[in-house]
Amino acid sequence: MFITRRHIHRRTVLKGLGATIALPFLDAMSPAGTAWAQDTASARKLRLIAMEMVHGAAGSTAFGLKKNLWSPADAGSRFDLSPTTLAALEPYRGYLTIVSNTDVRNAEAFVPPEIGGDHFRSAAVFLTQSHPHQTQGSDLQAGTSLDQIYAKKFGQDTPIPSMQLCIENVDQAGGCFYGYSCAYTDSISWASPSEPLPMIRDPRAVFDQLFGVGSTPAARSARRKRDRSILDWVSESVAQLKTTIGTADRARLDDYLSDVREIERRIQKVEAFNTSGEVRDLPTAPNGVPDSYEDHVKLMFDLQAAALAADVTRVFAFKLSRDVSNRVYPGTGVTTGFHIASHHADREERILDFAKINAYHVGLMPYLLEKLKNTPDAGGSVLDNTVIVYGSPMGNSNVHNHKRCPLLFAGHGGGAIKGNQHLKAPDGTPMANAMLSVLQTLGCEIDSFGDSTAPMDLNAAPAATNVA
Amino acid sequence: MRTWVLSAAAFAFLGLGVSAGALDQAPRTSPPAPAVPPAPTTPDPAGPAAQTAVVKQYCAGCHSERGKAGGLSLADFDAAAAADHAPAAEKMIRKLRAGMMPPPGARRPADTTLAALADALETRVDKAALLNPNPGWRPFQRLNRAEYQYAIKDLLALDVDVNAFLPPDTISQGFDNVADVQAFSPALMEGYLRAASRVTSLAVGDAAAEATEARYRVPKTASQLQRVEGAPFGTRGGMSVVHTFPADGDYVFRMELHGNACGFLFGGPASGEQIEVSIEGVRKAMIDIDPRMADISEGGLVLKTPPIRVAAGAQRVTAAFVQRSDGPVNDLFAPIEHTLADTQIGVAYGITTLPHLKDLSVVGPQRVTGVSSTASRRKIFTCRPTTAAEERPCASQIVKSLATQAFRRPVADRDVQRLMRFYDEGRTEGDFEHGVAAAIEATLASPQFLFRIEAAEPRRTAGKAVRVADLDLASRLSFFLWDTAPDAELMTVASQGRLSAPGMLDKQAKRMLADPRSATLATRFATQWLRLNDVDHILPDAILYPYFDRTLGDSLIRETQLFFESIVREDRSVLDLLTADYTYVNERVARHYGIPNVTGTAFRRVEVPEYRRGLLGHGSMLLLTSVADRTSPVMRGKWIMEVVLGSPPPPPPPDVPALEQTDANVGGKILSTRERMEEHRKNPACASCHRVIDPLGLALDNFDVTGRWRIKEAGKPVDATGVMYDGAKLDGPATLRAALLSHKDVFLETFTENLMTYALGRRVEYYDMPTIRAIARAAGRNDNRISAFILGIVNSGAFQMTRSDVTETVAQRH
Repeated sequence: MFITRRHIHRRTVLKGLGATIALPFLDAMSPAGTAWAQDTASARKLRLIAMEMVHGAAGSTAFGLKKNLWSPADAGSRFDLSPTTLAALEPYRGYLTIVSNTDVRNAEAFVPPEIGGDHFRSAAVFLTQSHPHQTQGSDLQAGTSLDQIYAKKFGQDTPIPSMQLCIENVDQAGGCFYGYSCAYTDSISWASPSEPLPMIRDPRAVFDQLFGVGSTPAARSARRKRDRSILDWVSESVAQLKTTIGTADRARLDDYLSDVREIERRIQKVEAFNTSGEVRDLPTAPNGVPDSYEDHVKLMFDLQAAALAADVTRVFAFKLSRDVSNRVYPGTGVTTGFHIASHHADREERILDFAKINAYHVGLMPYLLEKLKNTPDAGGSVLDNTVIVYGSPMGNSNVHNHKRCPLLFAGHGGGAIKGNQHLKAPDGTPMANAMLSVLQTLGCEIDSFGDSTAPMDLNAAPAATNVA
Repeated sequence: MRTWVLSAAAFAFLGLGVSAGALDQAPRTSPPAPAVPPAPTTPDPAGPAAQTAVVKQYCAGCHSERGKAGGLSLADFDAAAAADHAPAAEKMIRKLRAGMMPPPGARRPADTTLAALADALETRVDKAALLNPNPGWRPFQRLNRAEYQYAIKDLLALDVDVNAFLPPDTISQGFDNVADVQAFSPALMEGYLRAASRVTSLAVGDAAAEATEARYRVPKTASQLQRVEGAPFGTRGGMSVVHTFPADGDYVFRMELHGNACGFLFGGPASGEQIEVSIEGVRKAMIDIDPRMADISEGGLVLKTPPIRVAAGAQRVTAAFVQRSDGPVNDLFAPIEHTLADTQIGVAYGITTLPHLKDLSVVGPQRVTGVSSTASRRKIFTCRPTTAAEERPCASQIVKSLATQAFRRPVADRDVQRLMRFYDEGRTEGDFEHGVAAAIEATLASPQFLFRIEAAEPRRTAGKAVRVADLDLASRLSFFLWDTAPDAELMTVASQGRLSAPGMLDKQAKRMLADPRSATLATRFATQWLRLNDVDHILPDAILYPYFDRTLGDSLIRETQLFFESIVREDRSVLDLLTADYTYVNERVARHYGIPNVTGTAFRRVEVPEYRRGLLGHGSMLLLTSVADRTSPVMRGKWIMEVVLGSPPPPPPPDVPALEQTDANVGGKILSTRERMEEHRKNPACASCHRVIDPLGLALDNFDVTGRWRIKEAGKPVDATGVMYDGAKLDGPATLRAALLSHKDVFLETFTENLMTYALGRRVEYYDMPTIRAIARAAGRNDNRISAFILGIVNSGAFQMTRSDVTETVAQRH
């Protein structure tokens, strides 16, 4: 056997950021030849990040299609990204699977009162591909989302089954507009058709949940030490209490004790890695929400990359904006607000302006891709074992339609997705087909998702449209 | 499972699938016909044999071995041996007393025959229970969120929001303190650890506190045109919160304002608006609002104060707008209270709208200088060492006193020594306070604090009902009446073993009832019994009910809580809950009810018109049983059956179309709620249940979604008429009240049952019913005063005793 891969030192990842903490030792960090030997896709830890961008894309307009503002002209693997808003992903094209020409019909209005309410309904559709029930009350109804279907199956292997992050202030309860509860506008992650999960906006809250309370490694280490000695005392107290109580209560305390041991085990695990002498960089525990959009997104990317590397969780849903947000993005050169820009009146120069905003958003992704690519993991890098979903449930935002919506995948999903592909779906293909395939790739045994009609082969362009 | 009531017999008459038996020939008409006159062959129910015959003739047709209507077979029921089938007998008693059985449309004997049957069953079951009392058993309880919060407030003088740390409590039988569903999970364990650490650092203060952000949100539909509770006078809207600052230092207050759908400032046309940030009522910053601010401007819709120096401890922080005008607005369209229903109008000229606060964040501390004296610190540091030698004795004194209170019993030396090891550990890492903090944190994470474990002597008393120890009884009493740990007096009495002495328990209970802390009977017990928390889930349609907002919803909950509290404070009859001619209102609620001459946010007692008497006229109950755009007679009927009559209807069978799927509009005619329901009821699968449920709710249909009185709906007069399942004619709240009062025993027993569930932390079982009847009867001799019910429960075997031989399976782990 000829071993070509090199042993990647843990210090090589997540450079240039504040404090350091030791993270769980990962398979991929073992010297070449040990971990690889058992490398099979099924044994790999597959990760999923599902990101939603709102307001569709300039490339979904007739003009945008002609100019290839979102997806490239050619299907297959010899596509040219340079005219598109995806140009920033060129260095990662090997990891890239662009799925164009799919529709999100469940985001459309089904009955007259729903007409016009697209902005307040779409976010709930993106990862569920289900049609939300129009209500301002508590009788919410959409679908179980992609990330949650995966988290339910595999999330239990990690301390935190899944996390939900967002950038904009999205958690207003109650009614939004057009008779839709704000829950539909605010959450892309649905644990069940009636259970939207709250999205966390404060990076510090994310940090504390992922890595423990305390802003410095010393503080976190002191915290763990204190927790351990408290847990010892809890165990002693339980042992004492058990001598004075009845059988059933004793069984109940045993239950409790096993939870105590579980927490002890987690702490021990972290400490064992700490004493191995290998440390990793972690972002500094943030104080709160940064003022700048870009800083906020990058901080959230840092946290996601670090959490995936440490295997604290394997599933993230990340809402990059909120419908009708009118944020201005300095650095795009566009001074119009995001929502206003998305209503470009189908005028070419305004569509091009909107495309600049699309390109800016996509342009933030390499920051995350680079981190994941540089984090060793079984069989290669974390990026090799991850599927990133990026897309929007809207197409041409000027008319609020949901056809030819933007969608792309990044990462190899443990090797099941080859990448360097542009799949141009036949007209009328539901976006759900592509998402169904992602779920199957990740090992979920389901045969339908949302309004899917059939799974989509993510490694071969459909014959009918495969133009070279 | 308490199947004996839940899935009980009531809906036997739903008897859809029953194809055999005499009852099947019974006329099925809609609306239900009054009871059919007794058949001439009815035997006189004087003895057990005759009673058995009545059951055979009128009940066993549906409740047969094969039919098992409502999951109950009475084929072999022998009235003489009622006590041997107590679970079935109790189901029968409840339905007979409520007048629900035999069902409307079925043949039924004379009312006296049914009453005599119920009497006979009760007598036999009660007699047997007297000979062989069963106090029941529950596993130990753990502190739920509310109890934890109250306990921390008592122990450390600290208000803390534990919702951020502890997972939500599982509700069983309507209550969040039922022991056997209180499961454990690693998440809970971690929650306890994090809560202990956070609470300790807030209470002791933390000179090493790191800057973090705490965000408080204003509900979107809260009215921001009036001054909010706690804010300085002369302000409007915004929010006022008590925030615990961990240290003396600089804090930045960040406020985000509401924008409209296009990201422009809501209320933008109003110029000269200002927002004031005050701490404990003292102005710390005043910020001008630029009417042109928007998502697209620099900084978006966010305003920030410069760093403000704040001392450690709990301080009231208010961010509120300066009120610049009052009184009517001279617009063609006047602004409504909850203008945010449509933020789009907020940028229109010619309509007066004002900026609204969306959330308030406290970011800090920076530049920490120390920790000032706070209420919590004064409570903790009862001694102050002046020399190194005094440190450990002082710490030991603090630890012992706090642990005694936290563990709700005299604390063993062994435990004090163990906790002092935490002090020593902390002391080596830091100073004296750091050491004390370590010991407090360990105390709060201890199972002796978190669990209410009652000592048993399993081997000696196996198989017997035994009295719980005085200290455990003290905890039971205190958590029942105050939702928190015993106070010093109760602890003293209990630890001297005097609590079980004659008269002492009553004396303590009465003392505690008179204490303001017994308000938890309203805010915790009644709130859960009456399902008041559901009010938050209902958001009335802004176009149809523009006068509704969150502030009104919250006020309606408060109204009901104050009303219940008045029953406790004045020791009134529990029946007053249904009949009282008074309620509590503030300006907002008064305006809603059409009651004149009430101004301001404070609540006061007012008389109410006939139709609004008692709980059935409370906006809270009427709102929580509605949906966004229409009343729901079904939910109102269900609420009455569940909360007032203790006989909840079974859940609808699967595949039943919702009312929404019944067209709101037939042949171009817009239907009223009643008409839609009648359309819906044409479906025979629905009719059998709904003919019981709906008339109860329809009698309240003069109250709209928000509880406001109305005489028309969809352009037509409201028709509140109907026939109750027992044949009583209904035409509005007054006749409904009267009809329910004709079953007042059922109401009083239902009340007792709920109070007992809450008091015991376990679901009430069939074997508790004799006790419940005894309590209700004794209270009846005492004008049904609420204290008679409370003391009845406190003096019951179920409250004072436990069974020690139980090996029931505990709740499933999550």
